[in-house]
Amino acid sequence: MEKIKSPEESRKLLDKITYDLTRSIVKRDELTNFWYFILIMFAAVGLWGWGIQIRDGLGVTGMRDYVSWGMYIANFVFFVAISLIGFLISSALHLLKIQWSKPISRVAEQVAIAGVALAGIIIINDMGRPDRFLNVFLHGRFASPIIWDVTVVTTYLTISVLLFYIPLIPDLALLRDKGTDDIPKWKMKIYTILALGWKGNAEQYKLVYHAMRILMLLIIPVGLSIHTVTSWLFAATLRSGWDTTIFGPYFVAGAFVAGSAAVVIVMYAYRNRYGLKEYFGELQFDYMGKLLVFVSLVYLYFNINEFLVPGYKMKTAEGIHLANLFTGRYALMFWSTQLLGLIFPILLMLMKFFRRPLPLTIISGFVLVASWFKRYIIVIPTLEHPFLPVQNVPEHFKHYSPTSIEIMITLFSFMAALLIITVLAKMFPVITIWEYAEEKGIPREIISEPKK
Amino acid sequence: MTKKIYLLFVLVLVLAVQGMAQEWIVPDEYKSVENPLPYNLTNVQKGKDLYMKNCKSCHGDVGKHNGLPLVPPPPDVTSDIMQANTPGELFYRITHGRGGMPQFETTISEDDRWRLVNFIRNYNPDVEPVLVEAPPKKAKLLASVNEADKKVEIFAEVENTDKQFVELPEATVKISAKKAFGNLPIGEVLTNKDGRAEFVVPETLIGDENGLVNIVVELEDNFITDQVVLDAAKVGQPKPLPKLIRKEILWSTNENVQSWLLLSYLGAVGAAWLSIAYVVFQIFKIWKAGKK
Repeated sequence: MEKIKSPEESRKLLDKITYDLTRSIVKRDELTNFWYFILIMFAAVGLWGWGIQIRDGLGVTGMRDYVSWGMYIANFVFFVAISLIGFLISSALHLLKIQWSKPISRVAEQVAIAGVALAGIIIINDMGRPDRFLNVFLHGRFASPIIWDVTVVTTYLTISVLLFYIPLIPDLALLRDKGTDDIPKWKMKIYTILALGWKGNAEQYKLVYHAMRILMLLIIPVGLSIHTVTSWLFAATLRSGWDTTIFGPYFVAGAFVAGSAAVVIVMYAYRNRYGLKEYFGELQFDYMGKLLVFVSLVYLYFNINEFLVPGYKMKTAEGIHLANLFTGRYALMFWSTQLLGLIFPILLMLMKFFRRPLPLTIISGFVLVASWFKRYIIVIPTLEHPFLPVQNVPEHFKHYSPTSIEIMITLFSFMAALLIITVLAKMFPVITIWEYAEEKGIPREIISEPKK
Repeated sequence: MTKKIYLLFVLVLVLAVQGMAQEWIVPDEYKSVENPLPYNLTNVQKGKDLYMKNCKSCHGDVGKHNGLPLVPPPPDVTSDIMQANTPGELFYRITHGRGGMPQFETTISEDDRWRLVNFIRNYNPDVEPVLVEAPPKKAKLLASVNEADKKVEIFAEVENTDKQFVELPEATVKISAKKAFGNLPIGEVLTNKDGRAEFVVPETLIGDENGLVNIVVELEDNFITDQVVLDAAKVGQPKPLPKLIRKEILWSTNENVQSWLLLSYLGAVGAAWLSIAYVVFQIFKIWKAGKK
């Protein structure tokens, strides 16, 4: 914390910070409209595909008797993965009192909310009869690992929303009190309602800190379990490629890689679009690069365990599966994800030059795309090798390739996730103003004093 | 390969020619052995049953000359070749067999072999036949279950020439248990001179899960009766029910769930949502604190 400034200085600085951080809320130009148009159009195309799928059934997908989990489940695992970054940055690093990550917390929470919300929607995508969705809750079986998934996704979504909302309350009050006339009236109304009559007294600050602390502690086991139980969907079966005990930590490590990359990309977009170069500075990118290297190294370590140990043994079914990944049908995808999504990024990001904003964002793009394909490789090749000998089965039952409907619906999920992030960025400041102001040495009384 | 087939062919031919050429001579001491069992309906009937089980597959239906086309051909029961044998010769041939004809010394008891001889003699022109294919008679069959003694009590009547029903003596009553795929024969009993019979149900009979058996009582073939079905008689052993659903396995129903899974699930979810509820309560308190 910097040394306490005089009230005049403080007010000036606070005005500047507020002005900078409300730019995303105020700014609405052609580009914003175009961006909304693109997102809504593609999302609508995906919804149209979903309509076709509901009308004609899951036969419109490439999934058949043997490969019964396709692109949807791979996509689901991807979205669960990127949502996990919320817990790493806004809770784990926060509790460790790490300063540089504080401005990123809300970005991480945005990514988390978008990711976990879409993960839930994708599961409904994958259902042939979405009208029976409630049965999952009414007739769920406790002996099935899937029940964890359903509850943990909803719990994590709730906690993420709360963890997004509670630090937002003082900001909402600040916008309510000090917001300029550029902010649309309806947004101001929403701020007034959501600010819950915030006065900025000591008791309220105490309560906010208390609630945040509980949520940060709570989100650690829930966040860890969300991706661990996702891995149980696979690890609780006896199929080659899935029947492994390290799947829980393997998934969690992979999730941090994907999530960090997603956060870097969103950060870069805010930095350039909303002129936040001071807030998402070189320092933040440098540390995010280091964090990405660290989690990538952990993930690499798990990858080595995951593939080299069975690679020694080459048990019958496992051997076929591994050969398929290393040299067979999936070799190109497998080695691309490992090299472009893990090994090359690690090597490059070890150098300071590549941890600067633009290079890091480009690398993160590769990492993010690779981690999507990584999930595809986890789900599909295993299903293409049924253990029982199959006979007199149409050839297309044994192989899977996604149909255009599946690609459309997957596209919808990407667009919907971006739409959620965009709406959140357009609605609320992308950095916690009051926390940032306090860091800069502005006293609380000035932050919460009403407009002159 | 062709050489082997050729050899096999020659071997079969030699054996066949030998079989035809060499006469099957029964030693003299056996020829004159007398049948120790009386020639009566019961023994002939038993012999018929044995014939049906053991001989018919090669020798064919009696009088139809439809035995298997083997070399030498198995003769029909009514044929001259068969009937030229004395009872002792028949017994010897059944006992020892030769070539295609198997020996029954070890599989059919001596008495039963003599009953077979009785059955064959029934078709001898010099012997008065006892097994006559008479038109079936009308009969009445009554049966009840004595659950305490695990007995089936039977009473049979037959229509006489005056169209009157009188007690049916010496008739075979077949008892079976109704099972999912047909009737399981569990025994036979002869009626006494009063037309009555008692059948003790074997201890080993297995019923349904409560030990209930559906018992079917029938008269022998040459009577026209309705079979009597005694439903749900408590005379059998209870059927052991194998547990088809094991407890505590993956994906099983909620009744079979592992207690540790249920506890950890409900504990974790309950704790998480209680904490969430507490946080929501804090939000409420923030709102209240703002009103001061």
